[in-house]
Amino acid sequence: MFRAAHAHRESPPEPIDHHDLVLRPRDVTFHWSATPLHWLPGEPFATHTIDVLHLMLPELERWFVRTFEQALPLITDDRLREDVRGFIGQEAMHAEAHQEVLEHLLTKGLDPAPYTLQSEWIFRRVLGDRPELTLAAAHAHLLQRLALIAAFEHFTAYMGHWILSNEHLDQAGADPAMLDLFRWHGAEEVEHRSVAFDLLVHLDPRYRRRVVGMLVTAPALTRLWIRGVRFLMAADPELDDRIKVRFRDYLAATRKDLLPPPGAFTRSVLRYFRPGYHPTQEGSTQLAVAYLAASPAARAAAQ
Amino acid sequence: MNTITPVTRPPDLYGRPRSDSFMQKLAALSDHAVTRLARRTTPHTPPRRPPATEMPVIRELVVAAKHQEAEDVVSLRLAAPDGAILPPWQPGAHIELHLPSGRKRQYSLCGDPADRYRYRIAVRRIANGQGGSAEVHDALTDSMRVAVTGPRNAFPFAAEASILFIAGGIGITPILPMAREAARRGLDWRLVHTGRSRASMPFAAELAELAAAAPSRVSIRPDDEFSAPETADLLNLSPAEGAVYCCGPAPMIDGVRRAFGDSRASALHFERFAPPPITDGRPFELQLGGTGRVLPVPHDRSALDVLHEALPDLPFSCRQGFCGTCQVRVAQGHVDHRDRRLTATERAAGAMLPCVSRAPEGQRLVLEV
Repeated sequence: MFRAAHAHRESPPEPIDHHDLVLRPRDVTFHWSATPLHWLPGEPFATHTIDVLHLMLPELERWFVRTFEQALPLITDDRLREDVRGFIGQEAMHAEAHQEVLEHLLTKGLDPAPYTLQSEWIFRRVLGDRPELTLAAAHAHLLQRLALIAAFEHFTAYMGHWILSNEHLDQAGADPAMLDLFRWHGAEEVEHRSVAFDLLVHLDPRYRRRVVGMLVTAPALTRLWIRGVRFLMAADPELDDRIKVRFRDYLAATRKDLLPPPGAFTRSVLRYFRPGYHPTQEGSTQLAVAYLAASPAARAAAQ
Repeated sequence: MNTITPVTRPPDLYGRPRSDSFMQKLAALSDHAVTRLARRTTPHTPPRRPPATEMPVIRELVVAAKHQEAEDVVSLRLAAPDGAILPPWQPGAHIELHLPSGRKRQYSLCGDPADRYRYRIAVRRIANGQGGSAEVHDALTDSMRVAVTGPRNAFPFAAEASILFIAGGIGITPILPMAREAARRGLDWRLVHTGRSRASMPFAAELAELAAAAPSRVSIRPDDEFSAPETADLLNLSPAEGAVYCCGPAPMIDGVRRAFGDSRASALHFERFAPPPITDGRPFELQLGGTGRVLPVPHDRSALDVLHEALPDLPFSCRQGFCGTCQVRVAQGHVDHRDRRLTATERAAGAMLPCVSRAPEGQRLVLEV
């Protein structure tokens, strides 16, 4: 499927990392008519664990866009401003791409609305603007939310790198369009992985700020994810309603390398707490750049 | 998408007649954080870190050398006036030159990334161009100063195991450092350089040097000796599952993109350029609010460019009518929609993407800003 990028493992001098990439959104289109509900054949649990992203991301990424738009006037560094503009456009395209999958789920008889209504409420009401705040308090509120976003972006970069370097999903017969969506998305997450962190540090360099962001984000995201898997397994018209979701299903899927392993995932979260942490230390853009040139959707994009 | 709809507390995930306790907890946590913020009496602005880039974004460089590289092609070597070290770059990177006339032009770096004291660019004179290349040729001379931003990279090199480089004419500039890097890494690579004639193709000596070290990897194909190549023939030089890097005139890139699907290659890299020029644009006017300023939009500029000057914090991103970030609301006036994003309902509600959409000649759009 995606041999071009894996091929360098045989003769690697040193990986290339690009820190000066021009970030631009890509005008991608996906077609879902040939994609089955269980796009990892015979693996409903792994499918739905990854599918939680479709439920969460459209509203999550629109919230990123709205929050970053508010931060834009505060930026005093021209280059960071350019990066934030590129980030906003990429996130807006991600949100729309996942939104279309929600419509596809509905045509397959899975109604995602109960969960997406909750996403909408969380990212618009709970984490949205609070008009009652004074100017100074609203600024602090913005910083809090930027700290949450920087922490979220640590996860998206981790998962982006994971899906780009994973060959077992191809071997498991994953639907090509769905894999392309997640790898295109993952590649852009890796491409722009420093932007949210740089923006936070630009506006508030304190260690405490970013640590609090991760302390709130990590448990909330874990809980939302588990709820999402339970919901999708229950709402799936092709599965028996009595199926229980168990932790060992997750472990079994990670042993087949169909989901990120818990150990590596946890260690990656812990690295965020190191005082000298910077997103560029996580993963490299080489796989991302190679995939964006190989991705059918990204290659077909007009620009 | 940008309009925030009031959202009421959502029902339970499984339709049970009770409120969701996790949702309640999340809301309570957030409300608590917000209440604590609101109680703060002293306005507290955290210390701001100096700009993330330690070096200035716009720097002045001096033309250290100017060479004729081929018919109509000159190269410039640029250095810091005080001989200081320059920001690092990687193959595919470009800088933007701010010419004395105020024109800004982007040129790929074509020198050696290991030389940390000089950048090299090469420019072909475009006879019927907009004057940028002529200015570089005629007005920039040795030891003249020129403002530069970058380097930035919109054509990154991923060092795949097997690679075909296709360069058309002056398009060799970003490819040359990539080919050197591929050679240095011991990758399996090929390079084709096409052009009108040998005399018009720059860097022949440097390519010959590369070819000498790597026999049969470099082919130089001037049209007057080989006849203009078919794109598919060029792509046939790609190894199976190889990556193609293409830089050249727009028709060449379009041709390669069209023929790519039938080739054996698996990845295509080409430079993603800034938005295409406005076609069929007519002058019109924008009015900021019911009683606000009126801004004329000339035929060759987008409404977004004009708005951005007046409102520097206006969000935008793709500038090509697909990401939707720059959306504004039109209170009055007829919009000529040219975007690929907005739905009929959104348009009917007054949404407009000013990065591409316009108004009929001489008409005025009143924006809610």
